[in-house]
Amino acid sequence: MQTATTAKKANRLTSTKLGGQIVHDYWSDLFNAKEEGRKVVWYNGTYIPPMFHTMDLRWVHGEAWSAYLAAKHGELPAQKAGEDRGYVRELCSYARTHIGSALMDLRAAHERLAVDPTDERALTMSKLPPPDMLVNAYPYCSSGQQWDEQIYRLFGKKIPIFNLSIPMLWGGRQDAGYLRGKEWEERSKYVAMQLRALAGFLEEHTGRKFEWDRLSEIMAYIKKAAELRLEAMEVCTVKPSPASYFDWIVSIAHVNFLPGTQRIVDYFQAVKDEIQQRAARGEGAVPKEKYRVFFDGMMNWNKIGWLAEKFAAADTAVVAGRYTHMSFWQEPGLIDLADPIPGMAQNYLICPNNHGAPIMIGEIDRLCDKYNLDGVVLHASRTCRGMTNSQFQIAESARKHGRQSMIFEGDVVDESFYKDELLNTRLEAMIESMDSRKRQAAA
Amino acid sequence: MKDYAMGVDFGSTTGKTAILDRDGKLVAACIASMGAVSGEGVQASISGALKQAGITQDDIGFCVTTGYGRRMLDISQKSYTEITCHARGAVALVPNARLVIDIGGQDSKVIAVDANGLVETFAMNDRCAAGTGKFLEVLARAVDVDLEKMGGVALGARQELKISSMCATFAETEVISLLAEGHSKPDVLGAVHAAIAARTAGLVGRVGKRLPVVMTGGVAKNVAAVHHIEKALNTKLTLPEDPQIAGALGAALFAMDEIRAAYKLAAVNIDEDDRHVDAAVEDARACGTAACKAPAADAGSAGVTTAPLKPRQQLQAELATK
Repeated sequence: MQTATTAKKANRLTSTKLGGQIVHDYWSDLFNAKEEGRKVVWYNGTYIPPMFHTMDLRWVHGEAWSAYLAAKHGELPAQKAGEDRGYVRELCSYARTHIGSALMDLRAAHERLAVDPTDERALTMSKLPPPDMLVNAYPYCSSGQQWDEQIYRLFGKKIPIFNLSIPMLWGGRQDAGYLRGKEWEERSKYVAMQLRALAGFLEEHTGRKFEWDRLSEIMAYIKKAAELRLEAMEVCTVKPSPASYFDWIVSIAHVNFLPGTQRIVDYFQAVKDEIQQRAARGEGAVPKEKYRVFFDGMMNWNKIGWLAEKFAAADTAVVAGRYTHMSFWQEPGLIDLADPIPGMAQNYLICPNNHGAPIMIGEIDRLCDKYNLDGVVLHASRTCRGMTNSQFQIAESARKHGRQSMIFEGDVVDESFYKDELLNTRLEAMIESMDSRKRQAAA
Repeated sequence: MKDYAMGVDFGSTTGKTAILDRDGKLVAACIASMGAVSGEGVQASISGALKQAGITQDDIGFCVTTGYGRRMLDISQKSYTEITCHARGAVALVPNARLVIDIGGQDSKVIAVDANGLVETFAMNDRCAAGTGKFLEVLARAVDVDLEKMGGVALGARQELKISSMCATFAETEVISLLAEGHSKPDVLGAVHAAIAARTAGLVGRVGKRLPVVMTGGVAKNVAAVHHIEKALNTKLTLPEDPQIAGALGAALFAMDEIRAAYKLAAVNIDEDDRHVDAAVEDARACGTAACKAPAADAGSAGVTTAPLKPRQQLQAELATK
C-alpha cells in the first residue's frame, strides 16, 4: 500500500472550531488574573476546577499549559530551561515543560528581565501568572505528584500546597469490577472526604466561605455537557463514524479544565447536532472508511493534525480512545446535584489508568466491541510510562479478540522522541495485515 | 514475455532483489551492499538479478518494493512494508514457520505469522539502534574486528561478561572499559552478542513465543548472534539458506500474486467473451449466418449452406461496442 501518496483528507468537525473561542477566553482570563485581583491556583491531575471555580479563583492545569505551549510550538524554551536545570529528558515532558516554564518565570523575576516584544515564544511564556496556591490531585502517576512537589520547592516552599490523594483501584478482590465492589465504595468515600478537606483549604487561603450551592450550579453545567458529549459519542457507533478521536481530542479542554458554564453545554450540543446530521447523511470523519480503530495512550499534542491526516489517508477512522472515551466526567450519572461531592470523587477515581489492568482492559475491549473496531493503535509515550506499562497486555487482549494491534513510540509534548517514519511503517504494516485477512476471509 | 515477478528490498544498508518465473520458481536473487539507502546500490542488485535470470526489465510483469526506500524506486508498481514482506518470504523459505525474527541494519522485528504467511502480530525496536545490525557494527569498530569476522571471534569467548546498556553509544563506552580492564576481544564480543540477544528476546516476549522460529536478515549470518539468541530463547532457530533475501522474496511473491490476479481476470474476461461468442455462434447456427436472427430452418442441416463465421476477434470487438 502507498498511503503517503494519497490525498484523502480528514473530515474534521466544524463545530469544534466554536470551542476555540472558549479556550481562548479561558487563557485570557487566566493571563489577566493578577490585574483583576484574582488568586491563582496551579494544579495537576484530575478535573477539579469546579472547586476553584466555586471560589472565583483562576487555575492553571500544568498539563494543559504544557500542551498549550506545544500546540503553539513554544514548548522548546521551557523544555530547555528544565533540562539546563538538570531535569533529565526521560522525566515526564509535561512536568519538564511546566517546571521549565516556572524556572523561566523565576529567572525573569529575579533578574528583572524585560521580555523581548518580538519574541513570540518568550511573550507566551511570560503570560503565566505565578501561583498563590498549589493543588495536586494526580491519580495513578507518581511523577505527577513529584512534579508539584518540585514546583513547591522551586518557589521556596512558600506557596501553600494541598495534596488530594486518589488511590488506585487495584481490583484484586472477588467483588471488584467497574464501579462496584467494597474497594470501590471505600475509595469513593476516601476521596470525597478529601474533597471536603480541599474546600476547607481553599476557604483558609481565600478567607471566604465555600459556597456549596454554587458548586452544585457549576456541576449542573458540567453534568449536562458530559451527558451531551457521551450521547454524541454514542452516535459514532454507526458506519462510517461521523466523528473521530481527533475531534474528541480537541474537545478535551471543555470537559477537563474549562469553567462549568452554559458555554460548554452549548458547545457539546453543537458537536452532537453536527454529528447527528452527519450520521443522517452517512458522512464520515474520513472520506473512505475502510477500517475502524481504537487509539490507546496519551496524545502527541504537537502532532494532532498530522496524525488525523495520516489515518485519513489510510482510510482508517480512529473512532475511540482510552484518553477520550474513558476519562473526563465519563460517568455523569453518578453526580447528584444535591450533593455533588461523592459523584465527583467517583469520577476522579475512574481515570482509566487508576484501575488495575484487567478492569481497564475489559473496558477497552468493551469499547472496541461497542464501536465495532478492527484494530488497536497504541502510542507508547516515551515519557509517560504510567500510561504505557500495560500496553502489551492491551495488545494481547486485542489479539485474543481478533483485532490487529500496533505500538509506536512517541511522546506527549517532546517532539524529539517522535519520528514520522516510525508510525508510517507500523501503521502501514497493520493495515496490510488487515487487508490480507479481509481478502482471505472473502476468498 | 512479461511473466516474471520482481521483488526489491531497498534496505538501509543493502539492496536485495529476487525474481520469480511464471511458475513461481526463484530464478535470481542478488544482494548488493551499499551506503545508507543508496540508489546506486539497489540498482546494482536489480541489474545483478536481471543478469542472473538472463532477462531484461521489459520481461518483468510486476514489481513490488519493500524496505526503507520502498517508495523511491521508479520501477515500483506497488510497495509493502518490510513486516509484510519478510513474513511472506520467511514462510516461503520455511513453510511451517510461525515466528520470524528479522534483524537488519537499522531495525529488528519479530513477526508472528499464520500458515499462509499472513502477519498475526509484530513488534519492532524503537527508534534507537539497540538490537540491530548497526549496534553490532558500532561495537565491531570499537573492538577493531571486521564485522564479518566478529561472530566467529565472539564464539571463542571463555568468560561470560555483561554489557548492560542497550544504547549503542553507552555500550561502546562499556566495551572500551572492559577492554581497558584487560578482558579479551572474544569475551567482550560474546557479551555484545548476548546483549543483542537479550533485546531480541524482549521483542519475542512482546509478541509471544511460537515455534518454529525462523531468523532472517543480515544478522542471521552471524553465528554468535544466532547462538546467543538460541540461548536466550532456549530454542533452536531455523535459518534459511539465504536469510537476507526473505524480504525481497516476499515482495516477489506479492508481485506474482498481481500477475496471477491479472491472468485470472483476463481468463474471466475471456470466459465472458466466449459466452457472448458462443451465444452469437448459436444464433448464427440458427440459420447459418451470424447476423440473421431468423428461426432455424426445419429442414435439417444437410442442405443448409453455412456462411463463414466472422473471425472471433472481430466478433469480440463488435460485442464490446454494443
